[in-house]
Amino acid sequence: MVGTTVVGSYPRIGDRPAEQSLRRAIARFDKGEIDAAQLRTAEREVVKAVLREQNEAGIDVVTDGQISWYDSQSHLARKLASIEIGGLVRYFDTNTYYRQPIVRGPVAWKEPILGDEWKFAQANSKAPVKAVLTGPLTLASLADDKHYHSKKALALDLATALGEEVSSLVRGGAAQIQLDEPILTRHPEDLAIAIEGLERIRTRKGSARLALFMYFGDVASIYEDLLESPADAIGLDLVQGAATRDAIAKYGSEKPLVLGLIDARNTKKEIPGEVAKEVLELRDRVDLKTTDLSPSNGLEFLPRERAREKLGILSAAARQVGVAA
Amino acid sequence: MSALLTTSVGSFPKPDYLLRARTKASKGELSEEGLRALEEKSTAEWIQFQEQIGIDIPVDGEQYRGDMATYFAENIDGTEISGLVRSYGNRYYKKPIIVDELRRKGPISVDWFRFAQARTRKPVKGMITGPYTMMDWSFDEFYGSRETACLAFAKLLHQEARDLESAGAKIVQVDEPALSTRFDELPLLVKAVGVVTKGLRAKTILHTCYGNYNEIFAYFNKLPVDQIDLEMSNSGLDLLERFRREPLRKEIAFGVVDVHSHVIEPESLIRERIEKALTIFDPDKLYIDPDCGLKTRSVEEAQAKLRNMVAATRAVRESHHLTVGKG
Repeated sequence: MVGTTVVGSYPRIGDRPAEQSLRRAIARFDKGEIDAAQLRTAEREVVKAVLREQNEAGIDVVTDGQISWYDSQSHLARKLASIEIGGLVRYFDTNTYYRQPIVRGPVAWKEPILGDEWKFAQANSKAPVKAVLTGPLTLASLADDKHYHSKKALALDLATALGEEVSSLVRGGAAQIQLDEPILTRHPEDLAIAIEGLERIRTRKGSARLALFMYFGDVASIYEDLLESPADAIGLDLVQGAATRDAIAKYGSEKPLVLGLIDARNTKKEIPGEVAKEVLELRDRVDLKTTDLSPSNGLEFLPRERAREKLGILSAAARQVGVAA
Repeated sequence: MSALLTTSVGSFPKPDYLLRARTKASKGELSEEGLRALEEKSTAEWIQFQEQIGIDIPVDGEQYRGDMATYFAENIDGTEISGLVRSYGNRYYKKPIIVDELRRKGPISVDWFRFAQARTRKPVKGMITGPYTMMDWSFDEFYGSRETACLAFAKLLHQEARDLESAGAKIVQVDEPALSTRFDELPLLVKAVGVVTKGLRAKTILHTCYGNYNEIFAYFNKLPVDQIDLEMSNSGLDLLERFRREPLRKEIAFGVVDVHSHVIEPESLIRERIEKALTIFDPDKLYIDPDCGLKTRSVEEAQAKLRNMVAATRAVRESHHLTVGKG
């Protein structure tokens, strides 16, 4: 019945000593005790473990957990032309930080960014792996723009660059692409820029499925417009963005939705039957056969063990929807 | 009249012997008493250092704390401590989890305040992690409402503030680094900090950092405290122009050294920053401090920054013929 997926990030270390290998490897790399290749090996061991945990939980479409990403902004930005990486800035209301991209000139794609990571992940996963990219509007909004002095101009050049990356990923075999635009929960008035950027990326995606995900809040005020956007599926945070639920109940959707109903910001465990009930309440408004269930955002804000448990809850809730529907 | 009093925001780096001891203690290789003795030693050293360089309002340096929210939560019933979550880079921390009704087991930071105050005649600040930050940085498995959880913290932190006052604290600082995370919740923050500071005779301070001050500017005068403490060197000094147009009706502690940079700001640069502040704020309402807690610097860097800060302040006082008076 409903499918299951995740949003992107996953905790890279756990509390057991064996789960802290990457933390130790990074510390040794920083001291010059191991080289970049050895660090890469340590990262990939964690990617394999993260894929195993998602596979074991029965998640239908998985990610590599963004294990090698320093953060959601600088990982992509550092490989684009004319961008430098600056100091630490608070990332939304998460009590985590990102290194701020500083835009010094016209941005452009130079080389594949995520291709190797995606290929490695897919080779180590039974389930299809989606490639996740931070969207151009969010990247533009969180960067320090010293060149364009225009959010729109920067976002559209970023969209062109990310379109190139998407094209490269699709040629490498990726069939599912997700763009994250959390900034729309804070600045819904920028929707037009997001859509123009998305349109540029859509033209480069070939036959891949392109999803647009918004988290860290609601998008109720722009919900109807999002349904008209050039994305094949829309992902919604329905926990911190609970207000979007009313919009779904009111307007429904013919476009496939990803319902982020499992709280990825809080350790409190959901009861699968209750989550299933919330999904079933929408059965007359959306086609459950094309609907996916997911956490509200990336799982990296939770301790590893609880993230794992949340995957189990997600799967169980989806099964209960299947039984009841 | 006192003018340009110097102080610190709260934390200082832990010396190597204490870092090693904390690692040992976490593995069960050092007793609680053994660790406590070393925490006392380094606290005493930091008090002595502040005395020696002539800081007017010292702090205890928070040598006994890991994370500022987790330390308070460990001393509050109704909480557990989570597994590791990532802050950034290779830094991880443990967060409080609210699992039941919050109740203060007893005084949380009062013993350390007493310990520090007994070692100096100058007024040591009492330091409280604020209710909004406690709520925002905790997982909540019990209340299910950010407002209810926040006000529950506020109620018990008010008791903590009272106890600090009874122990002799003339100044109580409420730390709210999470202040600027959700602008729509600023009214809740004002309400919760008001619960903490209500009826206190002590001077009250609210410290925050790394925020988008433009969005919260309108709230500065509404904060129920006598003084606000802001990082000014890292945020650039743009904010000053706004204060010129829209005056602050409170005291201000003005951060003049960047706590996230290894660079030791020269005395001349700090003097310039203080001079700029003096074009807007009255010297008796202007306090000089670092942007934030210095705990991420090395002991040597922190001491060098504080030395230059005190020397620069002294030079400015002299050039303006200002006196220190009684703090």
